[in-house]
Amino acid sequence: MADLQNLRNIGISAHIDSGKTTLSERILYYCNKIHEIHEVRGKDGVGATMDSMELERERGITIASAATNVTWKGTEINVIDTPGHVDFTIEVERSLRVLDGAVLVLCSVGGVQSQSITVDRQMKRYHVPRIAFINKCDRTGANPYRVKKQLVDKLGLNAVLMQIPIGLEERLEGVVDLVSMKALYFDAGPNMDQIREAEIPAELLAEAQAKREELLDGVSMCSDELMEAMLEDNVTEELLSKAIREATIRLELVPVLMGSAYKNKGIQALLDAVVSYLPNPTDVVNKALDLDKNEEEVILTSNDDLPPVILAFKLEDGQYGQLTYIRVYQGKVKKGDELYNTRSRKKFRVGRLIRMHAAAMEDLTEAGCGEIAALFGIECASGDTFCDPKLNYSLSSMFVPNPVISLAIKPVDKKAADNMGKALNRFTKEDPTFRSFVDPESNQTIIQGMGELHLEVYVERMKREYKAEVEVGQPEVAYREAITQRADFNYTHKKQTGGSGQYARIAGYIEPLPDPAEGEELKEYEYVDEVKGGSIPTEYIPSCDKGFQTAVKKGSQLGFPVIGVKAVVNDGAWHPVDSSDQAFQTAALGAFREAFEKAKPVILEPIMKVEVVAPNEFQGSVFASINQRRGLIISSTEDNAMCTVLAEVPLSEMFGYSTVLRSLTQGKGEFTMEIGKYGRVPTSVSEQLKKDYQEKRRKEQK
Amino acid sequence: MEIQELNDLSPLRVFEESLGGGLGRGNLGVLVSRHGVGKTACLVHLATDKLLRGEHVIHVSFSGNVEHVINWYKEVFREVSDGRSLSDAASVYNNILSNRVVMNFSQENVTIDKVLSSLETLIKHGSFKADAILFDGYKLTVATEDDVRRIKEFAESMNLEVWFSVSPVRADVVYDKYGVPNTMQKYTNLIDVLIGLIYNEERDKVVMTAVKTHEGMVEKPMGVSLDPKTMLISK
Repeated sequence: MADLQNLRNIGISAHIDSGKTTLSERILYYCNKIHEIHEVRGKDGVGATMDSMELERERGITIASAATNVTWKGTEINVIDTPGHVDFTIEVERSLRVLDGAVLVLCSVGGVQSQSITVDRQMKRYHVPRIAFINKCDRTGANPYRVKKQLVDKLGLNAVLMQIPIGLEERLEGVVDLVSMKALYFDAGPNMDQIREAEIPAELLAEAQAKREELLDGVSMCSDELMEAMLEDNVTEELLSKAIREATIRLELVPVLMGSAYKNKGIQALLDAVVSYLPNPTDVVNKALDLDKNEEEVILTSNDDLPPVILAFKLEDGQYGQLTYIRVYQGKVKKGDELYNTRSRKKFRVGRLIRMHAAAMEDLTEAGCGEIAALFGIECASGDTFCDPKLNYSLSSMFVPNPVISLAIKPVDKKAADNMGKALNRFTKEDPTFRSFVDPESNQTIIQGMGELHLEVYVERMKREYKAEVEVGQPEVAYREAITQRADFNYTHKKQTGGSGQYARIAGYIEPLPDPAEGEELKEYEYVDEVKGGSIPTEYIPSCDKGFQTAVKKGSQLGFPVIGVKAVVNDGAWHPVDSSDQAFQTAALGAFREAFEKAKPVILEPIMKVEVVAPNEFQGSVFASINQRRGLIISSTEDNAMCTVLAEVPLSEMFGYSTVLRSLTQGKGEFTMEIGKYGRVPTSVSEQLKKDYQEKRRKEQK
Repeated sequence: MEIQELNDLSPLRVFEESLGGGLGRGNLGVLVSRHGVGKTACLVHLATDKLLRGEHVIHVSFSGNVEHVINWYKEVFREVSDGRSLSDAASVYNNILSNRVVMNFSQENVTIDKVLSSLETLIKHGSFKADAILFDGYKLTVATEDDVRRIKEFAESMNLEVWFSVSPVRADVVYDKYGVPNTMQKYTNLIDVLIGLIYNEERDKVVMTAVKTHEGMVEKPMGVSLDPKTMLISK
């Protein structure tokens, strides 16, 4: 137990381009895991150590989160590098599940951006205590105070500055630590990158004292002990530090640190803060569901002597074969142990057990509570729970959003087809938001995901890692169909021409389900049985339900699922010999088709929440580009030289927007998007969609 | 209740009547009071009424948080639609949203030229046919006469209504019995409609007085006041 005090599992989450990977790289450097520093977009062609995938190097983005283990002043820290692009948020969510704490990286110029809001929401969902690091304080326009204010205003966090900068922009020299009231410079040692403590410069003293008062005020709100000490004027560094730690772990406080990873400033102080303020595995309560006791919640204890409960949170098919990243929540795992996968209900033996450092690894004989390790050659999917064969626990299922976009792919030759199969099998296991299937009508392989870039990356990976060359079709949007008014049905299914016949009649109506309340998802389907007097025998009631369920899977306008329908059956007829389960299912299917046409069906499309950030002078072009895309401008915020435009735009109109935006803004604009809701397609567009669908079907039938 | 009926029964009709038929395009209207009396709610109620009548509005704020503004609209709409049990409220709300844009300026000392040019950009490039612009929290009391004149010209050339909610910036201003601070006096000639809001303890309501209307300086009490609970305009 004692050594768990000296373990931290942390993640680094942030908006794209705010410098997470560079920061991770510097952490490795200061913890002596690597001996040189490479830049993310390095000229030396080596690239940052954390981005192990070749593709990530090329695009300058982090896709898969590699877990890596470092030691800082006697404390082991598992750093999980998480991707920043919104298309990959499932990766972020999965990483968050295994974290005890996180560092929220913010750009000192860009501040709190849409992605930071998403990531923060995810952290709240998984109750992850966090500290904020305001990076890039060396950049022109850096203003950590503004970013801190945004943390309070936009994210509603009780953010408190732990430091103030000494100089800013190109004159950034170091920071003043408000807890110890010392100035920290980062220019000692032969490489001019080691920490040096000094007195606070005279010109900053007054400001430092004022900000320390703010710090004390902020923290004492969450700590009675500190409040008392303040009244007695007896605040020690230890006491303050303890109060900050406790409040942070209770999610009542977010300590804010700052620096510049690129210029090697503030990293050591950040590592100290990780150790001092973020929780160790015993500080966090983890729960599992007991599958034998109707998913009753069980609290897991960080004790090595208890039977093990382990989560497989990530699969990776690396150069050494298949790797499964695991986190041990209870007990410990040793080489040769037998474990039980509660999803597949299979037992397996632990072969090699290793600890990863981005691309290099270290063999272990055992991994204890709270540790993050990796297993070789285990057949499983990510999100699976492994436990002692005596137990049947599942760590709570993780929230998986539905894909919004699909793409048809076609292998160029026989060899590519084989490789493509392997690749798809692997990717779908690794990433639950990525799906693939063969469309029975067109016989095409379809891949689905969370956005254009998401799918593009997988197509690239197929090519590079599996040598599967594929032709890519036009991306297709996941439309939905819905009805807008009530429609009655009275349908008889009858086939009584000799032999055993089929007979079923059902009557009732379908109507739209009411709009969901704010923040809730629309229910897809509801079945109500109002049959009285046995006009349909009880045994066939579920058959009707089943028939409707088949019907809503495919609407008759575009062949997409129908959502938000309530089907009510209130009358019917049956035949003692010819009625059957199948007959009632068929009748329900027919009844639904009949009523659907009368219920004024419409097509729904995914509407994306889009946030565009560009310099002010391009505001007009941004407005125009959104307007051309059937977009709806929600708001526009101007802040210094940048403007942020929030809009709702149909996904179908967003294809290729990154290229358009780049050329409109001379490369200075960027945008992020995520699924907002499903909205009605305007008639002019839906007519065209229906025409295309009919044409496609005609072609397929030929 | 249907929208048409809701609009006909709205206390805003009384409000407009008190002004002799509303503010009208090309004109400037001002709601003025001390801090915390309920101007924002009142302004959002004005905007919501316009949206419900199918008009397009731009809400200009200087707060730094768009969410707050959007929440105000949500709240006010809920009050209005619940009070009259509007049918199909969720879809009505979704429809009117497409006629509203929030324009937010976070920098401290944004010039009026910048604000107007952004508005023009939105109207022209964003093809947003605004019928009214509402400035929430614009520091009109410290603006120059020239600034106000320019806004007036903009309202005329774009043919739209402009409403302001104003609170004095300085602490030492003197309020008259209608809640109008003395710092407003220098602009009264440029403003078409000036309404003072003041809390009246006896009636437990925020009393609205039309200090100036199209007829000139009238100082007549309006037929409406602000409900102290919902902060909405009510009869």
